[in-house]
Amino acid sequence: MRVAAGVDVGSTQTKAVVMTENGGRSILARALVDTGANVRKAAENAFVVACHSAGIAPTEVGFVVGTGYGRYNISFGNAQLTEISCHARGAHFVCPTTRTVIDMGGQDAKAISVGSDGQVLDFVMNDKCAAGTGRFLANAADVMGIGLDEVGPLSLRATRAVKIATVCTVFVESDILSYLAQGKKAEDILGGVHLAIAKRTLSLARRVPLEPDITMTGGVARNVGMVHALEEVLGTKMQVSPDAQFIGAIGAAVFALEKMDQSFESSMWRPEYATGSGH
Amino acid sequence: MPEVKQTEYRGSIHQRQKDLMLKWYERLNEAAETGTPPTASLMISGNCVELLEAFGAVPIYPEVNALQLAIRHQSLEPILAAEEIGYAPDNCAYVKADIGCYLKGITPTGGKLPKPDLVLCNFVGCNTYVKWFEHTAVLTGSKLYVLDVPFLCEDEPSQAAIDYVVRQLKEVVTLLESITGKKFDYDRFTEAVRCSAEVEELWSQIKHLARRTPSPFDAYFDAITLMGPLYVYRATPEGVEFFRAALEEMWQKVASGQGVYDQEKFRLVVEGPPPYPYFRTFRDMFAKWKACAVASTYSTVGGLWEFGARHDPDHPFESVAMHMLSQNVTNRNYLQRYEQIKRYIEEWNADGLIIHFVKSCRLFSAGQGDMRDYVTKTLGVPTLYIESDLEDPRYFAEAQTRNRIDAFFETLEHSKLTAKAV
Repeated sequence: MRVAAGVDVGSTQTKAVVMTENGGRSILARALVDTGANVRKAAENAFVVACHSAGIAPTEVGFVVGTGYGRYNISFGNAQLTEISCHARGAHFVCPTTRTVIDMGGQDAKAISVGSDGQVLDFVMNDKCAAGTGRFLANAADVMGIGLDEVGPLSLRATRAVKIATVCTVFVESDILSYLAQGKKAEDILGGVHLAIAKRTLSLARRVPLEPDITMTGGVARNVGMVHALEEVLGTKMQVSPDAQFIGAIGAAVFALEKMDQSFESSMWRPEYATGSGH
Repeated sequence: MPEVKQTEYRGSIHQRQKDLMLKWYERLNEAAETGTPPTASLMISGNCVELLEAFGAVPIYPEVNALQLAIRHQSLEPILAAEEIGYAPDNCAYVKADIGCYLKGITPTGGKLPKPDLVLCNFVGCNTYVKWFEHTAVLTGSKLYVLDVPFLCEDEPSQAAIDYVVRQLKEVVTLLESITGKKFDYDRFTEAVRCSAEVEELWSQIKHLARRTPSPFDAYFDAITLMGPLYVYRATPEGVEFFRAALEEMWQKVASGQGVYDQEKFRLVVEGPPPYPYFRTFRDMFAKWKACAVASTYSTVGGLWEFGARHDPDHPFESVAMHMLSQNVTNRNYLQRYEQIKRYIEEWNADGLIIHFVKSCRLFSAGQGDMRDYVTKTLGVPTLYIESDLEDPRYFAEAQTRNRIDAFFETLEHSKLTAKAV
């Protein structure tokens, strides 16, 4: 059995996917761990857990591609690729008609224009600012004392969403406190927060051609309120896979399989990129 | 022989450049200690250094001082000093670094910098510089003259604009006569203009060598090194000699097929100055992909000569005025900047464009989002847009910058592979 893996070390969570190619490509297992302070350890844990779930030994994995901000810290990885390439390829794997990816992660928001073969045609990312990212939502949830998993569903109940003028992750707290002091309902405040992020993200995303199908990826895609707000501002539906959070790791695993096939010869794979000898 | 890093220029010109720049700082130190030679502060873009040369005066370029500090990782202290007295975080970081140097008594080389005899603001395109030079004049107590150079809204400057600038240049001559106590030497001025024309021709020829594959030098990172002598020595025989040697060295590289890397993989055009506080880090991000800049707009801040314009010793005043009005990138309108980039991409055979947006330079950077759209959508050329600052280290995020650059080249590499496969 030909097995490869992708490990996506994000700013908040680390994801690993083990994939096989047996007639067609399929996902054998996924794993998700908090990244925490020890990036190297998080990558290792996610990989080992994914292998365990797949019922295989790590040594059976023929090739590992690392992605995400911590990709160069993956000691056992054979190659590294940016999450931009991996999200495009991963989105193409779960939804081959994808032509645009909107990825919202812990500290990044990006829009990627994708070719018919899953390759990146163009991309834009947020500036060095957490507006429009998962961190913005987490801050809003914190200040309201609501769990991060609850903010999305709650925002859907908004009837009179407030206007959140700032897109600053720090200053949004004072906006929220001010609305709370005015007696505004939590769902209306959250409705405003989600809408503010959606508008901010789309003003960025519009710099690439927003061609359908649009696939949303990243941890924030699990937030139904955010998906709803983005679709409302976009005026169209998006593809949201149950694997949205794993798309980067899936893309990395697809690249890893391609390398095993030797069908993708590129300097991305040149030796100085390989920080470990593999297995 | 010591091991040479791959991203370092391999040749003798860079050492000669260092020697020349050191000599410049020594002359400034001498001026600070003895009062001679006379000195004048100038801004780089569209400068009229030929007038100073006619009086044997030495230019002080606050921008060169600022970038030298940044490249030595010493720019934050003076920036903070300027912010302490009220300069805003988003003010031009060059301005803050320079003002902070006056406040703190810092110089890039540790030697002395003189109080300029004249603060000569050759304002082109950047109105922040007017305030900068006004503040410099207040801080130093030096005489101030602000040249008013009309922005180039049309394709060519009008005769009225040329006459207007020439009249001001003649006022500067009178001012320099009174400051230096010397009579204006027209022949020496003409000779300075002739030297400039020759340097421009040589520099232009060097830049055209980057059309070859492989390019014998990086027309962004290596060009920056050559730009020091270009500004300080342009109007002198030393400048002519330096650029003759540089051209000869480049030709030798061409003859032996030597490029910047053992294999040039990508050819780029770069818009905007580099993040000087992370110059080496930034360069290495491109070197990793064996990506060579074959042209850059930043190297035309001092003068845009690769398309044929030259100073003219037969019309020295008028040609200095023309240079200020139209032959430097900062005084040119956006459509002209688009055309310049388009020509580089097409004629220098580039694979993509890198735009470095400078946070603290809104004047030059504003509109680069539209520029990105023009190049990607109208020209169909891949473009990477990254943001940091040319002087303030606080704006540079290494992981994010690296991520964007890696992603850009991953994409470019795939495009090349698929293009080959078709």
